[in-house]
Amino acid sequence: MFEGPVQRLIDELARLPGVGRKTAQRLAFHLLTVEEADARRLSVAIADMREQVGQCRRCFNVAAGEECAICRDVKRDADVVCVVERPQDIVVVERTQEFRGLYHVLGGSLSPINGVGPDQLRMAELKNRVEGESIQELIVATNPTVEGDATAMYIAREFKPLGVRVSRLASGLPVGGDLDYADEITLGRALAGRMEL
Amino acid sequence: MRVDWLVLGDFRSYHSLDWKPEPGVNILVGPNGAGKTNLLEAVSYLATLRSFRRAPDEALIADDTDAAIIRAGISSDDRERLIEIEIPVKGARRTQVDKQRLRRTSDLLGVLRVVAFLPEDLDLIKRGPAYRRDLLDEIAIQLWPAAYVDQAEFDRALRQRNAFLKSGHRDGTTLDVWDARVAQAGGKVALRRARVVEGMEPLLGDAYREISSSDATTGISYQSSWPSERFVGGSAAEFTDGMLSALRETRGTDYERRVTTTGPQRDEPVLELDGHDARVHGSQGEQRTMALAIKLAAHRLIAEATDSPPVLLLDDVFSELDPKRSSALAGALPGDTQTLVTSARPDEVPVVGVVWSVDGGLLRE
Repeated sequence: MFEGPVQRLIDELARLPGVGRKTAQRLAFHLLTVEEADARRLSVAIADMREQVGQCRRCFNVAAGEECAICRDVKRDADVVCVVERPQDIVVVERTQEFRGLYHVLGGSLSPINGVGPDQLRMAELKNRVEGESIQELIVATNPTVEGDATAMYIAREFKPLGVRVSRLASGLPVGGDLDYADEITLGRALAGRMEL
Repeated sequence: MRVDWLVLGDFRSYHSLDWKPEPGVNILVGPNGAGKTNLLEAVSYLATLRSFRRAPDEALIADDTDAAIIRAGISSDDRERLIEIEIPVKGARRTQVDKQRLRRTSDLLGVLRVVAFLPEDLDLIKRGPAYRRDLLDEIAIQLWPAAYVDQAEFDRALRQRNAFLKSGHRDGTTLDVWDARVAQAGGKVALRRARVVEGMEPLLGDAYREISSSDATTGISYQSSWPSERFVGGSAAEFTDGMLSALRETRGTDYERRVTTTGPQRDEPVLELDGHDARVHGSQGEQRTMALAIKLAAHRLIAEATDSPPVLLLDDVFSELDPKRSSALAGALPGDTQTLVTSARPDEVPVVGVVWSVDGGLLRE
């Protein structure tokens, strides 16, 4: 045990993901030895983030204002919306630089085991957007798990009757991979999801 | 297919073991508790990544050590491969084939194939239907490694559907979605079971007659809890469609009972002896002969389909049989197959092979 305030910081740091007791101790003592201004900058950055960053009221991405940078960007194609489970997934899709549409963050996937049904996801909000905006197509980019599949299927059933196209990311072979080295499960999925040329 | 060498570190009773089994029959002899079954368990683990005794991974690690290690050289046709598995007390299991880390469990399946026969398998016929379902699923994985993923997805989707039913919500669209996912994976699981049964049918009769020295007739069929007319020769899509409509039909009952009342989780293979259900009409001796015949038929089926006989593991089986069946089983064992047999008493083992004595974790010829 250390002096009260030091121990309190160690306890808080140790609650962060990926940080164990020892790392928490090292970080705390580091912050104790650096210039006071440096340590204060960290605490201000945390406070500012919590104060200024919230959810985008349109797509539920993280946002520094009422709407996120993507929703504010008028050059983006508002006809196509990519539906993802978590805000982190947006970063992954953005990195491809292949997608110029908007997003919608569901906040998870259907999983009755964990008590998550459509009401626990942002399905109603998506419905409002489909009815109120110019959306023509939903691209569902949920994870290729049993739960992600079920969520994609649910979206197809709920939204196709509203007249929008609903598509799902293809699952297939890694780029540059040799057919020889593809495992049979990936290859099987790629076959099932083949495209006409 | 055979194990050329096996190295164990802190695995159960073995702190350090380096063993080179013979390509043919190996007879492991030693008193009870000497560690004979542990050796078979290690070999089986290399093939399936789980204990054939259904023990949790922690139970495989020797007391007061950090990790169990299993390493083995496997040869099949002209190909030699190296499997290495580390099971640590803390953290995730590490598996390598030819020094390459595996991305997922299913990538290991098929590198080594085994058919194991344990004393409790003799009761296969009179035990609950889950044991016979598992048997078909295990054979399916050895024949088609992708079956592993379908089985895992089916279990997961079924648990989700049951959790939804248990919640008491009535939401047709959500249930539609789980129906579709359960049927998609469940159709494939059922199709593979039906294919295993088809393949086993003729082999089972031959094996039964060899072990029993009789001219009895046997039958094996896949009995489904959901009506489908196409269990023979149907495609995965037809199975999935059949299951989907069965789920729709039982929806009312499922809502009421809050559990999925139809599907592969309720099916079972039915075994017949001279036209009668072997569970009801077979004597204990006949049921045990049937259990042995099923395992032999499984071995022959996998050997035929993969062109390489799986390693056969027989744990203390001969002592449970009368002398007549015991020698008939010995005569029916596949040739050209690496076989590991354990016994407390070598005079009870009516097969010829290299004898190893096992005691206190050491082996010697």
